[in-house]
Amino acid sequence: MYYPEPISKLIDSFTKLPGIGPKTAVRLAFYVLEMEEDDVLEFGKALVNAKRELTHCTNCGHITDQDPCAICQDESRDSALICVVQDPKDVIAMEKMKEFSGKYHVLHGAISPMDGIGPEDINVESLIKRLKDEGVEELIIATNPNVEGEATAMYISRLVKPAGIRTTRIAHGLPVGGDLEYADEVTLSKAMEGRREL
Amino acid sequence: MHIKDIALTTYRNYDRLALEFDDTINVIIGENAQGKTNLMESIYLLAFTKSHRTPRDKELIQWDAEYAKIKGTIIKRNSRFPMEIVLSKKGKKAKLNHIEQRRLSDYIGALNVVMFAPEDLNLVKGNPQVRRRFIDMEIGQIQPRYIYHLGQYQKVLRQRNHLLKDLQRRRNEDATMLHVLTEQLIEHAAIIVERRFQFLNLLREWAAPIHRGISRELEKLEIFYRPSLDVSEDMDLDAIKESYIAKFHGIETKEIERGTTLAGPHRDDLVFYVNGRDVQTYGSQGQQRTTALSLKLAEIELINKETGEYPVLLLDDVLSELDDYRQSHLLHTIRGKVQTFVSTTSIDGIEHEALQEAELFYIEEGIRKK
Repeated sequence: MYYPEPISKLIDSFTKLPGIGPKTAVRLAFYVLEMEEDDVLEFGKALVNAKRELTHCTNCGHITDQDPCAICQDESRDSALICVVQDPKDVIAMEKMKEFSGKYHVLHGAISPMDGIGPEDINVESLIKRLKDEGVEELIIATNPNVEGEATAMYISRLVKPAGIRTTRIAHGLPVGGDLEYADEVTLSKAMEGRREL
Repeated sequence: MHIKDIALTTYRNYDRLALEFDDTINVIIGENAQGKTNLMESIYLLAFTKSHRTPRDKELIQWDAEYAKIKGTIIKRNSRFPMEIVLSKKGKKAKLNHIEQRRLSDYIGALNVVMFAPEDLNLVKGNPQVRRRFIDMEIGQIQPRYIYHLGQYQKVLRQRNHLLKDLQRRRNEDATMLHVLTEQLIEHAAIIVERRFQFLNLLREWAAPIHRGISRELEKLEIFYRPSLDVSEDMDLDAIKESYIAKFHGIETKEIERGTTLAGPHRDDLVFYVNGRDVQTYGSQGQQRTTALSLKLAEIELINKETGEYPVLLLDDVLSELDDYRQSHLLHTIRGKVQTFVSTTSIDGIEHEALQEAELFYIEEGIRKK
């Protein structure tokens, strides 16, 4: 199929986004042609600005437009409590909960020797530094509940233990509001393991 | 349980085929390369969503077709339901009772199948991998959770082997990560080994009397687990874990040197003794076959005990490999209990008594000839 160069470039760009295949890319590109010029300019600017103005907080690794980020600067938050997550999106998910008053640390990945990602490739070094500087008392490790996430959680807990800092792992189990009968066996058995006294 | 009927569409060499089965014995007769094993394979696939012969689903679809479909009606004591597998280039869909099942563990187990094919005669003689596959498949059929632990174990094992390679080449000097992966590995390894012990206990109970029967009371079969470290069947989960911890501690330097994991359920094996002697090394071919047959028959009883129904038995080209006495013992054991599919090139080698109540299917180039 032949497309004029500007549009084929646009299609190409869309296919670089996750979840967008060649057909959707074509549809989006043609949609852009139909849009008002102002809207397109706005869109383009938003893309460039998001990339240019956002950096990673040098303290916690979260995405931010100021350094350190708003969460790190917030004095009303408890610096003795740090929640460790894999991804900036996880911080946003946690923040939606509106109940956590500690601070965060974003690892940007999980340790996976198979993919060539070792401890030095994720944001652990700055975490260790923070433990010393900020008087941290508890680390809540909220990496994903899969093989790599678990390994990363265990790795961090081993690094931190000698310093005498309390390390906890978030619970695994049933989703709230769901029915027991729809849960798979693995989740159910994790939920049984993690049961608590009433 | 039994399979009432099956319908194949553009599957292997079958364009379209619809067959109604007898609930006792079905004999599929045909020359080589006419589609006997393909038919057996389709029943196996309906149960497990994958072929026992190839990992590539593409091979199962007729070369000029878009998809292949297998549909069957299963009858259990209290229920009757259709099962359906559609294979296409986009992937596969498994439907149970008309509803698509996204998780394989929700589908597998609805139809229990035990297959006995020529390669199973190698169960005793062949390499340890064959025996591990046998034990893993059987436990998985009765305990879906086992499949989960096995999968997790394999994932951690791959990670650990990669790290050991890195350590071997000195690309990495960090032992903490190795210890983390060791701990994770042990978590799943211990559960796998514990389940295997439990399963072997049951298997042993059923296989010994069956073997005595087939061997005319002459042979005593014993089954042992040969682990890659010091664990035994009287140990509980914690004791097994302790043993693994000690083992991995001791071999760490060697593992780094070799760049691979040297202990774990992926290196364990089963050993069979007949009259006190290792059949793999000292047994005659006949004894090895009898042992394989006893194990398969024990498996049938075991599934009945665990699920309350007898599985469907597939005998692919093996009946003629057994001598008259073993053949009649086999047919006697399953008679009236187990729906059985037998594939053979000729009915000459099969006991006549059993054939009387059997339904015969003559297959020629993917078509049933009357």
